[in-house]
Amino acid sequence: MIPPARAELERELLAWMREEPERHDEARFERLALALFAFQLEQNEAYGRFCAARGKTPATVRSWREIPAVPTGAFKELPLRCFPAERTVKTFRTSGTALARRGELHLDTLALYEASLVPSFEAGVLPDFVAGERLPCLVLAPSPEEAPDSSLSHMFGVMLGRRGGAGSGWFVRGGRLEVDALLAALERAQASTKLLLCGTAFAFVHLLEALERRGSRLALPPGARVMETGGFKGRSRALAREDLRAWIGERLGVPAERVVNQYGMTELGSQFYDSVLREPGARRRKLAPPWTRVVAVDPETGRPRAPGQAGALNVVDLANTGSVLAIATADLGVLEPDGGFEVLGREAGAEARGCSLAADEMLRAHA
Amino acid sequence: MRTPSGAEVLGILAELRGAGAELRRRPRTERVEALGRVLERFRDPRSEERRELEARLPEASGFAPETIRAGLDLALERWTARALFELVEDELACGGRARLTGGGRARLTDGGRARLACAFPATSVLLGGAVPTPTLVALLAPLVLGSAVLARASSHDPVTAPVFARALAAEHPELGAALRVVSFPSGDADAMAALLSAECVVAYGSDETMEAVASRTGPAQRLVRHGHRLSVAVLGEGALSGPELERAADALALDVALWDQSGCLSPVALYLLGTERVPAAVLERLAAALERIGERLPAGRPGAHAAAELAVERGTAELRAAAEPGVALVAGAGFTLVAEPDARFRGSPLQRFLRVHPVAGVDALLAALAPLAPHLAAVGIAGAGGRTGNLAPALAALGASRICPLGHMQAPPLAWCHDQQGVLLPLARLADVEA
Repeated sequence: MIPPARAELERELLAWMREEPERHDEARFERLALALFAFQLEQNEAYGRFCAARGKTPATVRSWREIPAVPTGAFKELPLRCFPAERTVKTFRTSGTALARRGELHLDTLALYEASLVPSFEAGVLPDFVAGERLPCLVLAPSPEEAPDSSLSHMFGVMLGRRGGAGSGWFVRGGRLEVDALLAALERAQASTKLLLCGTAFAFVHLLEALERRGSRLALPPGARVMETGGFKGRSRALAREDLRAWIGERLGVPAERVVNQYGMTELGSQFYDSVLREPGARRRKLAPPWTRVVAVDPETGRPRAPGQAGALNVVDLANTGSVLAIATADLGVLEPDGGFEVLGREAGAEARGCSLAADEMLRAHA
Repeated sequence: MRTPSGAEVLGILAELRGAGAELRRRPRTERVEALGRVLERFRDPRSEERRELEARLPEASGFAPETIRAGLDLALERWTARALFELVEDELACGGRARLTGGGRARLTDGGRARLACAFPATSVLLGGAVPTPTLVALLAPLVLGSAVLARASSHDPVTAPVFARALAAEHPELGAALRVVSFPSGDADAMAALLSAECVVAYGSDETMEAVASRTGPAQRLVRHGHRLSVAVLGEGALSGPELERAADALALDVALWDQSGCLSPVALYLLGTERVPAAVLERLAAALERIGERLPAGRPGAHAAAELAVERGTAELRAAAEPGVALVAGAGFTLVAEPDARFRGSPLQRFLRVHPVAGVDALLAALAPLAPHLAAVGIAGAGGRTGNLAPALAALGASRICPLGHMQAPPLAWCHDQQGVLLPLARLADVEA
């Protein structure tokens, strides 16, 4: 049974996630974050010790900004859960290799996870469609049945269940993009007025390469949109995000203003989407759901950077009730004054400084 | 350096092939002597070349000037003209494995056989990383054979290759004409395709770079890969206490500090033979040694992404140290030491981040290193006494291409069989001639 303190927090959060429109509420966020911090400190032994070693307790932490952030790497090392292992109903895992362990997010309920992902996806990718309207959703990722520990596949599965109409389907099987089946589906979809094409950025690269090899250019309907996510680490071909968008425009006929990038990670219960469809005409940036906060910090000192200055991204995500709410990532980004942010990718083709196999490279060796 | 177009790169390659043909008409000893003189210039701390490297590399590479100076001093100490001559003798001359063709007739051995090594008309070298010393070998090796060289400079070290080219032109203009250094973005597909059209391609870089290069070269081309690797250190029982520990700690600290642990010969993990837990005294001595070396050779500027990765790894170690028995973290200024509870290998974000593992014995060590086998470069050893001799064949069988004392890991011999290959032979076409 979920402890009463957490159950109460989750009730409040679920109500917040259902609110229309989404509202930023600093006081509510502060109160819930501090309460969740106090709960996790007590229930998550490893996190409790980590905070104690830093002298951080509910008595000393007065703001969500002071909550110690657990690095993403810790999810590879320790089961960071606030409930007994036997109550685990789902474990999502990061990619792993022979040399590097996989990060794990354990969940004892999917209710909050899904309650968080749905409104963010709807707001980021389908804001101009009628709520509940079904449309063809072509997914360039493996299905949840094929990749049961992939949080991305789970997310697509949830959204396909809610919004997928006739012609929807999965087009990655056995680790390969089924190009012919996908092109046939796209051909059919050109007759529709609406279409969602979503998947990993690298799967899109495979699709675009296939179109290029065949000399094909599609003209997807005006209501079509693309949602892509993930980077190019470990791939022999890396692309800057703008180049990927331009290529999508050229080969699929979907303009950049209808190509949405999602920033997410296995360790987080919430995701962040580009603003382009939600705020047409405004500068592209990631928008944070109201129950999250993102800060950029100086990686060496941990001190927050001012908006406009690059830093390592730390995320406070209230949807992480069963694990740890504050996460420190190795991703660099720049904060906007309105709480939105931009993720700074490595320059495509950026070279390593040396010839030693670094930890992040080891992670993708043999992947 | 001006960025050439793809067509210009092709034009340069064509010119180089002509220069290479001229080169091969001259005696090999002339080339080796000229290249030896260039090496001597780089060895001389007062030379123009060394002054230029030391002045310009800190900005380009992010390494502290003191680290660059110390790294070059140590690495080039044994890279003499004589060492180059011996390398050529060892790999190519009579008594060695092959003879270099010079256009003349093959001389048969008493057994009526000869192995000929022929140069490719042109060799393209895709340089990588900021450590300057591999660049010297990468440029001189094809030239020894008589192959012209077109090199693309690394973005982290745009200095060493052009300085080498100028030194070579000064020593031997004809040889200098057979080497060109270019620079262009890795995303410039036309220029990259032109560069990779040489008969022989030598590539340094990550697994992704190797994969990308391999996909763009054809079966008729020679591709010599130097992917990213890692190295480890071992302390035997003889170096776990007393003055031996002090000496070993200082030696290891030097190996870690040089090139800020970013070289493939930089140890990223230390194994303590015959221990069940990392002794506190060993951790203290290592921390003190890393502190001392940091005063002499300060850590450089790693770049924002690398700093963020280091912060995540340090934070992860901090959490583990708080929650996991047997884990300890010493985070000093410019270095990180993590005592691990077992021998299981974990990655390092580099930047002087060393994990220390207990390991019961040699068998356990070999088992711990087995998953690294495809990526293992060197193993530095201290205090293993007579065991070193026994360890070496097992480590070599595992994949290590170098086993050496601590304190010397960053100073491989010029003839080191990097990636278990020779220096010259992989760049040559070989042919056996039988009577």
